[in-house]
Amino acid sequence: MNEIKATSTIDRPICLLLGALGGQGGGVLIDWLVDAAMRAGYPAQATSTPGVAQRTGATTYYFELFPEKNPPAHPIFTFFPASGDLDLMIAMEPTEAGRAIERGFVTDCTTVITATERVYSTAEKVSAGDGRIDAGPVLEALEQATKQLIQLDVKALSAGTAARGNAIAFGAIVGTGILPLTAEDCRASITEKGVAVESNLAGFEIGLKTAKADTKTAPAKDGLTFNAAPESFASDIAAFPTSARDIIGHGIDRLIDYQNESYARLYLKRLGTVRDLDTGADKKLTGEVARHLARWMSYEDVIRVGQLKTRPGRLSHIRSELGVDAGVPLKVTDFFKPGRDEFLGALPKNLGWLVPNLGNGIALHIQTGSFTGYAMLKFLSALKPLRSKSAQYLEEQAAIEQWLDAVSKATMIDQAAAVDNNLAIRTANLAILARGYGQVRKTGLTKLNELFAEWSSKLTSDAASLSAEVDQMILLAHANPDEA
Amino acid sequence: MDGGTALARVTQSGERSFTKEIQKLTLGKGEEFHGEGILAVTKALLQSGVAYVGGYPGAPMSHLIDVLAEASDEILEPMGITYEQSASEAGAAALLSASVHYPLRGAVTWKSVVGTNVASDALSNLASTGVKGGSLIILGDDYGEGSSIMQERTYTFAMKSSIPLMDPRYDMERMVDLTEHCFGISEASNMPIFLNMRIRACHLTGSFIAKDNKISEFNANNPIPEQIYDVTKIVLPPASYQHEVAKFEERLPAAAKYAQENNINEVFPGAGGRLGIITQGGTYTVVMRALQRLGAADAFGNSDIPVFCMNMVYPLITDEIVDFMKDKDSVLIVEEGNPNYIETQIAEIAHRKQINCRVHGKDMLPMAGEYVSNVVREGVAQYLAEEGPAEISNTALEKNTEIQAKTQTAQSYLPGPMPPRPPSFCTGCPERPIMSALKLLMKERGKFHISMDIGCNLFGSLPPFNVGNTVLGYGLSLASSGAIGPALDQPNVAIMGDGGFWHNGFTSGVVNTRWNKYDSVLVILDNGYAAATGQHKVPSTGATPRGMASLLSIEDALKGVGVKWIKQVDSYSMEATIKVLREAMNARGEGLRVVISNNECMLARQRREKPAKAAALKAGQRVAQEKFGVDEEVCSGDHSCMRLSGCPSLTLKQSADPLKETPVAHVDETCVACGNCGEVAHAAQLCPSFYKAEAIQNAGVFRHLGSAINRSLLAMMGAKQ
Repeated sequence: MNEIKATSTIDRPICLLLGALGGQGGGVLIDWLVDAAMRAGYPAQATSTPGVAQRTGATTYYFELFPEKNPPAHPIFTFFPASGDLDLMIAMEPTEAGRAIERGFVTDCTTVITATERVYSTAEKVSAGDGRIDAGPVLEALEQATKQLIQLDVKALSAGTAARGNAIAFGAIVGTGILPLTAEDCRASITEKGVAVESNLAGFEIGLKTAKADTKTAPAKDGLTFNAAPESFASDIAAFPTSARDIIGHGIDRLIDYQNESYARLYLKRLGTVRDLDTGADKKLTGEVARHLARWMSYEDVIRVGQLKTRPGRLSHIRSELGVDAGVPLKVTDFFKPGRDEFLGALPKNLGWLVPNLGNGIALHIQTGSFTGYAMLKFLSALKPLRSKSAQYLEEQAAIEQWLDAVSKATMIDQAAAVDNNLAIRTANLAILARGYGQVRKTGLTKLNELFAEWSSKLTSDAASLSAEVDQMILLAHANPDEA
Repeated sequence: MDGGTALARVTQSGERSFTKEIQKLTLGKGEEFHGEGILAVTKALLQSGVAYVGGYPGAPMSHLIDVLAEASDEILEPMGITYEQSASEAGAAALLSASVHYPLRGAVTWKSVVGTNVASDALSNLASTGVKGGSLIILGDDYGEGSSIMQERTYTFAMKSSIPLMDPRYDMERMVDLTEHCFGISEASNMPIFLNMRIRACHLTGSFIAKDNKISEFNANNPIPEQIYDVTKIVLPPASYQHEVAKFEERLPAAAKYAQENNINEVFPGAGGRLGIITQGGTYTVVMRALQRLGAADAFGNSDIPVFCMNMVYPLITDEIVDFMKDKDSVLIVEEGNPNYIETQIAEIAHRKQINCRVHGKDMLPMAGEYVSNVVREGVAQYLAEEGPAEISNTALEKNTEIQAKTQTAQSYLPGPMPPRPPSFCTGCPERPIMSALKLLMKERGKFHISMDIGCNLFGSLPPFNVGNTVLGYGLSLASSGAIGPALDQPNVAIMGDGGFWHNGFTSGVVNTRWNKYDSVLVILDNGYAAATGQHKVPSTGATPRGMASLLSIEDALKGVGVKWIKQVDSYSMEATIKVLREAMNARGEGLRVVISNNECMLARQRREKPAKAAALKAGQRVAQEKFGVDEEVCSGDHSCMRLSGCPSLTLKQSADPLKETPVAHVDETCVACGNCGEVAHAAQLCPSFYKAEAIQNAGVFRHLGSAINRSLLAMMGAKQ
């Protein structure tokens, strides 16, 4: 009935898959491609599955173009990307490119263009530790698995312009030369579509140039910044292993800012005890304790919050985040809800009667940008000299001592077993439980106290199960508590 | 943050504006149409002379309804076409009664299989009665990747009600042609007809040469002179038995005859030979691509293997099948979905007609799931390898193995699984805080049972909220708590959107609960639209899709059936919301307690307010620029806030501080300053790291002066800005 007799030297269309998250402009990009193909006179078809309107789920678009003008018959276009004949894969996020490999679409015949900045998923965010998937290994995998990888650091590339990722990707697609589309046709499509024409044309040019240059624009890794301790501490720091000196300097700086120099000296004294017990070749234990100890000793009470919220540079930082200069009136509202415990903690024990029952805490919306709000927080921070008399201070110091004692005892077990501070380092890492505010902090400290109360006896009677208990606690502290 | 009012919404159009699309619907004979699949089908309706169109929106056919709503003045009224966005799919199906007695062509549409479920009462009656005017039901089939509904086949409905089912080959020219033929089949067989459109087909782009639009002989501008009474069209005995007989003795054979005479199904004979593939029209291109990938076809569909493409998949046409199979040793049936009705019918035909041809199908292809390219290629490869002559068999095997190896190699480089990314509430969504509030309330009083509904609210059952226990259908959350409520120690909560309330929730839920005196809590999320489908108007939006002001009140409806306990909450105020929810939970014994959250869908609001703000800024008017932020130094890094808020703009950031063991929270530039993160931090007593920053652009003189004084005072205390 239906006889098709036509032939061509081209055996299949050029296939392009686009993976994006809702709201990233994937639909507009596909419209540009369809229009540009039509302009150039090539048969093409696009389709998509934007079934739900929600703007956070992963969605894909698929495009096929037959690279011959006026072919002898209608080429067959289909709806789904397939393994082994995907020529181009565009991802607006690196794990979406990874997902295309996972699903079997991307192979060594595919050129992948991907934005490099991660957009974290809920699954990654809900972990209490670090649940992030690093873009690095995913990009490496793409590099190995594909014909060519073009990385787009959209933020860096678009700096100073209003260009968005989809327009940059469009330019990069054309820049690869895989589709027989001219830049001229594509520019015309952007103009015709009429959506943010100026910035999209700018983005297109950026992408075009980037693909042609084929330079690797891998994002710079966020580095750590170590603050230095005052010169007067130089000889004290020199008494510690080289590998731990940066973090110790940083810790000292933090604690002087937090309280005073003598508090920083207390830090060094405590750390010295651990150093003396640290027989490990890498001195890792000293480094780990240096980090945890400085963090724990600078626990956040209302005094500290007042201090941090009135940092001299804070308002200008907020201005730069909003992109407004000093002349523009700015209102900053801080969400602060101290409960009775927070106030009790800040006061000496015998003055606790001063604090009324605050129920579920007082929900404060402090106008930090205004004189009164700022002054109030400034007043809180001025209570610093009283801190060492406060109830919370005494509690926290006792807990710290108890933890350090547990670490010390663990080193002895490690030495007996000749395992290079294995248990001691893990015990040091238990300090993660001393975090947060209010109920979260209280629960964590209680857990530690319960464990350390029987530490010595358990160490001698059943070190193996104690070790397992430590692992379990660390694991849970990093997991999603909703699933625990 | 205040919610949008119904009045503000009246002037608001839907998710997209369709001016360009409307122009395409007016194309005349010989002009070329370029556009989306579902729009092409809409144009085909106009070319077929429909007198009425209706439907209930849902992916993937919403655009049909949206475009026609906007085309009201330009196209529908001059042509006398009656149009409505019905209150439910059942209502849309009931519109087809216009074609029972009268020569009126009509089309209705909805999402399948869910909408077909809702419509089935009307459909069964209609199918029994039969029709005079062509009656088309366009089904937006949401089966496969990314679908938000249960995966079932529409085919079952076609079989049980004896309604012909079209599953067209997706070449736009052919698709339009087949849509027009649907009316012919319907009129020839006196049956309504289904046109099944897969999600990717609705969104495909393509072109065809248009015809002039056709005005129905009778229409709203030219009414039928008199009504017709015919008792044989009433489903009562003895007519109902006669209908049943007529379906099988007259109507289905008439449909088959029309299809055969008009070449609805297509044979692509290819190079001939003793193999063959039988496919649904909708999977034709997937089959042809598989053959091409396996070296058995070229880019234009010239194939080594004959292919029988069935654009009408119910009823099957025995003669055509016998013709195709009689000289074959074997056939492969590519039939997406489950159960494999087509395959079993063909096997039965082969058996009864004693055709010596092996029938393959679900033995080589998966029982369930979408028939995507890779799946079909594997199945076809197995078929060619097992049944094909050496040359075809070897090539197919070799090519398939090569593709498999390539794929596995690529996959082997991946460091691990990629993160799942299910849909969730948008940034600033007014429904999110309700889920946060429920989660917090559960921490306070232990977990309680929550019946969810269809719509955005259902995302509350996913991480990070995890607060939904069941979902039973659109508008059925309250009804579904009837039996479970009394059996649990805590009151149960039903969540329902405004869309669900009007669709079914009021009668099946509220009225039933009142009548049976159930003790229950209902939370209505009134965001002004059926938001999940793309902001479709509902009776409480304030306007019809055609822009006519019309407002029904949810609260009045509740009061009308005697609900006493009704409280409104501003969901963006977390403490207040929790308080009201707590009261509702504690008011056990007081019957139905209804909490209504009335804040507008944030997407709709942003779509209206963003351009207005930009314009005001340009015009030099006072504009508040708002954003939330996190003080990195204060953030405790345990991510409690994310487990309670789930906001897309609240994300993770590597801290530069070496003392921070875990990444800190960060509010990115997509923040719309709804304030939920701050409210959650308060309600759950999280760390005091959230702040709201508000810059006043183009402020007045006094504001500037006040601000300057303030700045110098702050500077005296050490602040730099």
